[in-house]
Amino acid sequence: MNFSELWRLSGIIYKEISFQSIFSLRAGSMLPHRAETDIKKLVSNAQINTLISKMLTAIFLGAFGFMISLSIMTPTTPSYSSRELLIAGGVSAYLAIVLFLITIMGLQVSTTLISSKIAETLSAYPLTKNDVSKAILLCFLRIFDVPLITALIMLPLVYYIASGSLTGVFAILFAVCITEIFALALTIGLAKFFNTKIAGGGGRSKWKTFLRFFYMLVWILPSFGIYFVMNFALEILESFASLTQTFSALLQILALLYPFCFGFIAAFAALPQKTDYSLLTLSLASSLAYLAIATHSIKWLTKTVRKIGLTKATSTFKEEVKDTLIKPQPSWLGIIRKDLRAASRSPSYASILLLPVIQTVILAMSFSSFNDAGVNSALGILIGLSITILLLPITMLSIEGIASSYTRSLPLKRKTLITAKTLLTIIMYAISIAILSTIALLLQQDFTFITLYGIIHAFSIAAASMLELTILANKFWKEGFAVGNIYARLSTYLTILIPGVILAMTPITAAITAYIIAKHLTLAMFIGIALSEFALTAFFTLRKN
Amino acid sequence: MPDLAVNVENLVVAYGSFVAVNSISFNVKSGEIYGLLGPNGAGKTSTIKVLVGVLEPRSGTVQIFSNPISDEVAAKSQIGYVPEEVVLLDSLTPREFFEFVASIRRLDANSANSKLEKFASAFELKQYFDTPIAALSMGNKQKVAIIAALLHEPRLLILDEPLVGLDARSSKILKELISFHVKKGGAVIFSTHIMEVAEKLCTKVAIINNGKIVSEGTVEELRNLVKSAEGSLEDIFLKVTQQEAGMQEIIKALEEE
Repeated sequence: MNFSELWRLSGIIYKEISFQSIFSLRAGSMLPHRAETDIKKLVSNAQINTLISKMLTAIFLGAFGFMISLSIMTPTTPSYSSRELLIAGGVSAYLAIVLFLITIMGLQVSTTLISSKIAETLSAYPLTKNDVSKAILLCFLRIFDVPLITALIMLPLVYYIASGSLTGVFAILFAVCITEIFALALTIGLAKFFNTKIAGGGGRSKWKTFLRFFYMLVWILPSFGIYFVMNFALEILESFASLTQTFSALLQILALLYPFCFGFIAAFAALPQKTDYSLLTLSLASSLAYLAIATHSIKWLTKTVRKIGLTKATSTFKEEVKDTLIKPQPSWLGIIRKDLRAASRSPSYASILLLPVIQTVILAMSFSSFNDAGVNSALGILIGLSITILLLPITMLSIEGIASSYTRSLPLKRKTLITAKTLLTIIMYAISIAILSTIALLLQQDFTFITLYGIIHAFSIAAASMLELTILANKFWKEGFAVGNIYARLSTYLTILIPGVILAMTPITAAITAYIIAKHLTLAMFIGIALSEFALTAFFTLRKN
Repeated sequence: MPDLAVNVENLVVAYGSFVAVNSISFNVKSGEIYGLLGPNGAGKTSTIKVLVGVLEPRSGTVQIFSNPISDEVAAKSQIGYVPEEVVLLDSLTPREFFEFVASIRRLDANSANSKLEKFASAFELKQYFDTPIAALSMGNKQKVAIIAALLHEPRLLILDEPLVGLDARSSKILKELISFHVKKGGAVIFSTHIMEVAEKLCTKVAIINNGKIVSEGTVEELRNLVKSAEGSLEDIFLKVTQQEAGMQEIIKALEEE
């Protein structure tokens, strides 16, 4: 097969993988099988979704590249006394962002590619094994095409315009290439890891469950890595510059580490007059070591991707099963346990389930900079936390979508389902509030307001959760809506999320207003509205369902 | 007089403008194995999905042991369902899945465990109890769905192509279980493409074509109805679904290729 034929074949595989990763698993058997136009629409939606995901990644990469270039080329902040450190820090931050963003963007589709039986299907046709492997490799590259090209162009281009240093541009290009290889290898490594350790990881013992949870954390680490880097990019840059100035010995260590070694090379290439030769030697030496790792990675990557589908992706769990005992629970608890178990093996659900807690930890890091953790700060924190927490009910109901036909055939009351999912949402909210209060206590900040308002706001969160779940459950029951497919329908998603957010924001807005107009009524207003919302929503939800 | 397990009247199922099931009526009594036969896309699965409460009909009434299907919990509590596409909660292990189903059905732990042990041993599933369903073969997934459908001793079994993917041993066991179930007074609705199975197992069959029941009765009654059929259910099926016409020419043309 010549290259153009292989490229065309890889396009067909890519189309199928995109569809599988977005729809077929999530929609379960709720896809409208009969309507051909609907199926065509779903296929085109899948392609549009993957394209949007690529474009968004590319836009983020472009914007970060531009911002970082601007900040390192026009150092206006007084704390940035050393320009070369600023360039080193900026380039390093950019490389970290490229690594995490590309990994995260491609993870879902790559995981589907790894677990797909595409090679098995193709092998039945008169194609050589080599052609099948090459087509799969090209399909893998298609997953990342736009972001890879953007990452490669953006920073070097803006850097060249701002600095005019061609040597610097080459140094950055080299660093971005190495980073992209690392990102691709990391993606495929994580996808393989997911299929062998998480999806295929069985076992009943607590140790096995702990291990699976640990593996899941490892798997979703890049998502939180990017969340962290994107939230604190400038702070990281500033801390890097100030740390390295304070502890010059640290520079020697950093010069050995990825991505800083590349950052230093880019800095010295741009500012040769400021070159610290010992640091440059260390950076060059470690860069060569990373180049060797990248070369090895690309070989491993090519070999692994070409083998996809020729070997079984999901390892079959082998352990002697001693009994067949089960412990049936009350229905609501059965649903919660099932959700937690499903989330422990599904990275996207686990990420959203853990997001409020992780966000809380990141948020709490800023406590030390608070002058006081009073009512205003508490309410501000609750706004951010509420929005994240209200993503949970929709996610938890969309878990049912994987086996929607089956779930709907069970004698399950809507109110049981809504109660269970709301309880799970409140548990995650309570954990977040407990973390916030504990960190505030440890940092010797006043935690009274965060704890008090946080606990009261739980009623409002419960009301918002019930409202979201009622809207979505009605769609699920009455309209046969494939709940697992909710992420592909942004307008439906928003019409469910927005009413919930409005409900959760009402007591906060009222309390802020009261704080401005009549301060002594703040708490009373907050309690009154939160409790009323809860009572009304609970009454209507439980009565109607 | 046996109970009326299922009563369907003027059922219409539509997907947009496409009418998949066009005003069909039938009933199934306790002690009956009711076979739903029909070519691909005839409307069998759509009918079954309405019976188990997965799909909302456009019109018509469905009652399960006198409970309207709109009384979801009462109706669904009586049913054990094996879907055509075995899409279960794939991230769970069979043990976790059975625990979830038993929780929703509020089963007593002792009785559920005793049944589970018997079924797991009969279907040779014990060794896979702690393996995620996603990693199981199609046949083993089918066994998980069958056991989950039997766990609560339902009065009505609705099985949509239950033999697909099963090995000979498990097929035999399932057929025996179905026979035993009706002997105890239960009812079964059974959809299959395997004519021999339907002929041997079903007390009554309905042939659906283009969303309508084109023939209904015992195999013997259908034989008498379709006089020119040579006798097997397959012949009757081809006759009433009007698929027989021109078939010899098609086969001949294929042979000449």
